[in-house]
Amino acid sequence: MISFGHALAFAGALFVLGLTCVLLHRQILMILIGVEIMLNGASLVFVAASAYWQQVDGQVFALLLMAITAAEVAVALAMVVYLWRRKRTLVADEFNRMRG
Amino acid sequence: MNESLLFLILLLPLFCAVFNMLFGMRLPRLFTEVMAVIGVAGAFVLTLLFWGYAEGDGSRAVLFTWLNSGTLNVSFALNFDRLAAPMTLMVTGVATLIHLYAVGYMREEDDYARFFSLLNLFVFAMLVIVLADNLLVLFLGWEGVGFCSYGLIGFWYRKLENAKAGTKAFLVTRVGDVFLGIAMLWLFALTGTLSISAINAQAALISPGVVIVLSLLLLLGACGKSAQLPLMTWLADAMAGPTPVSALIHAATMVTAGVYLLCRFFPLVSLSAVAMTAITAIGALTAIYAASCAMAQRDIKRVLAYSTMSQVGYMFMAVGAGTVAGAMFHLLTHAFFKAVLFMAAGCIIHLGGGENNIFKMGGLARRGPAELFWVFLAGAVCLAGLPLTGGFFSKDSILLALYTYPDPVYRVFWLIGIVTALLTSFYTFRLVYLVFAGEWRGSGHPHALPLLMRWPLWPLALLGLAGGMFNLPAFLGGGEALHHWYGTMAGRMLTASHDVEWMLAGLAAAIAVVGWFAAHWRYRTYQAPLENALSRFLLSGWQADALVDRFFIRPFNAMALFSWIGCDRTLFDGSLEGLARTATRCGALLLKITTGRLTTYLSAFAWGFLILLGWFLLKLVEGGGH
Repeated sequence: MISFGHALAFAGALFVLGLTCVLLHRQILMILIGVEIMLNGASLVFVAASAYWQQVDGQVFALLLMAITAAEVAVALAMVVYLWRRKRTLVADEFNRMRG
Repeated sequence: MNESLLFLILLLPLFCAVFNMLFGMRLPRLFTEVMAVIGVAGAFVLTLLFWGYAEGDGSRAVLFTWLNSGTLNVSFALNFDRLAAPMTLMVTGVATLIHLYAVGYMREEDDYARFFSLLNLFVFAMLVIVLADNLLVLFLGWEGVGFCSYGLIGFWYRKLENAKAGTKAFLVTRVGDVFLGIAMLWLFALTGTLSISAINAQAALISPGVVIVLSLLLLLGACGKSAQLPLMTWLADAMAGPTPVSALIHAATMVTAGVYLLCRFFPLVSLSAVAMTAITAIGALTAIYAASCAMAQRDIKRVLAYSTMSQVGYMFMAVGAGTVAGAMFHLLTHAFFKAVLFMAAGCIIHLGGGENNIFKMGGLARRGPAELFWVFLAGAVCLAGLPLTGGFFSKDSILLALYTYPDPVYRVFWLIGIVTALLTSFYTFRLVYLVFAGEWRGSGHPHALPLLMRWPLWPLALLGLAGGMFNLPAFLGGGEALHHWYGTMAGRMLTASHDVEWMLAGLAAAIAVVGWFAAHWRYRTYQAPLENALSRFLLSGWQADALVDRFFIRPFNAMALFSWIGCDRTLFDGSLEGLARTATRCGALLLKITTGRLTTYLSAFAWGFLILLGWFLLKLVEGGGH
């Protein structure tokens, strides 16, 4: 049996790893992967909390999160393809048209 | 009939003016012209019908209360008395003939509705001045005359100088109006009423010092409208308007308004000897100034304009010498012969194909219709004051009043009057010789003279010639009818032995004849205009425009420039623009943060998240402490 504290620590580590990935990488694909890892960390917290309090809502929410993530990835990958077509690069900082 | 019907005299021209304003261009031309003439002619007939009301102490009529607030009670009241009645009759009568003439004169003009409605409105405003029993109502007419003169002088506004002349007339007379406005407010503060008759009744109660100042304020107001020194510069430029307008402004209306104002307030003004002397001095100076200018003018209408200024100066002298009857007498005869002269000048210009320069005329006695010469000559001999004409008697009565005035200073003014008479005779006959004698020197093609431009001159010429009958002096067996008509309003009774009167009349006659001979000797054969400094000085009206420009307009422009560049540009705009520039610089600083790079935003997110997290942790630790 894994304790709630361990589960939270693991989920937190996963979140921080994802965040590090998002912050350090310049490639859009890697940033997206970082975001996925952060979302998984968050899902894990829901599941762990659901097990700890013996309530099913958390698991339902985790399932919902998966669905949203799938949708998000679909949109994001489509945009990645689009961005690639525009500039033949996937370095995020190349797309700086929003500069003031 | 009752007194309120007197309002019809005012309403008729007003109605026709408004009617022509609204519908003038949509109706047949003849209809508009007939309406315009009817408006004035109707007023003339009504004045004749209501003549009886003026007898005795006159009639007052109140139409409605205009303003009623606290002690200020202004009723739209008319006063048809012995002073107003002849003036009304003259204004409407002369204006009727001028309107008829204008119908002929403006035959080719497209904008006739505007012209005739303004002309009617002008007569209406003048009648308001004449008939008003309330200072505020008088002021309404006073401003109305100013506005209409602006519109009429600048009638051909497409030429810039005409529009400028209109603006000049408007602005210069407005200077006088300011003083009249001050006098009006002061009189209200002193007497608590704006009714002219009530003010005159209380005049003796006002302290002498204040009376002097009030009279001088009224005098300055009158100077503006009557084109007396120092507010005379507008009149010569006012010739830019159509000739019927010049005739109307210079003969029957507007310039006589100032004289009439002083006559109206004569009970007040006559209380102060200083003010009377000031009025006479202004009149005398203007008379000789304008006469000297008229000697060098080359534009036929400008000669007449300066002569008007000069003759109005005589009227001021008459008021200053205490004879209202004399002033009104000269006002009436002057209205007749000056209207003739202006309208004949319009015919002359027409015949010369639009030529105004008298040095490019000549020979018109043979070239034009003979009647034109006789009519113009009739006006000219009246203006020059040849014996037995209307102008002779009215001018003579003014000179007599100046001569017999108790104050010895008035002898100086009398002398100025005599010299002015000499100059007047000279420049009048100079005009006659240059225009009618010799050979035609012009180049323009003559326009045909419509009948309507010819016959209105006859009645006026006859009235001018026979004008002396109105007030024939006693030493010639006359009854001094006008003097007796005015009764208590006539001012000082002129008492002089018949010897003195004969002497003065003989002197005036001799002066007029001398002026004629001088002109005959100089201009019998054509003389080219002199080109020396003196004639240039006189031609430019003693450089009055340049003086005004130097001492008023340029300092004013400099002040305006300072307010514009110095205050508005530098101070206000500068500080506001400084604020705006600071705001822009702050924005530019903030702009550096927005790089448009995704990674910057993401790390900003992360930092924000970290700070929030730290905040919550801090709260948690604090909460745990309890």
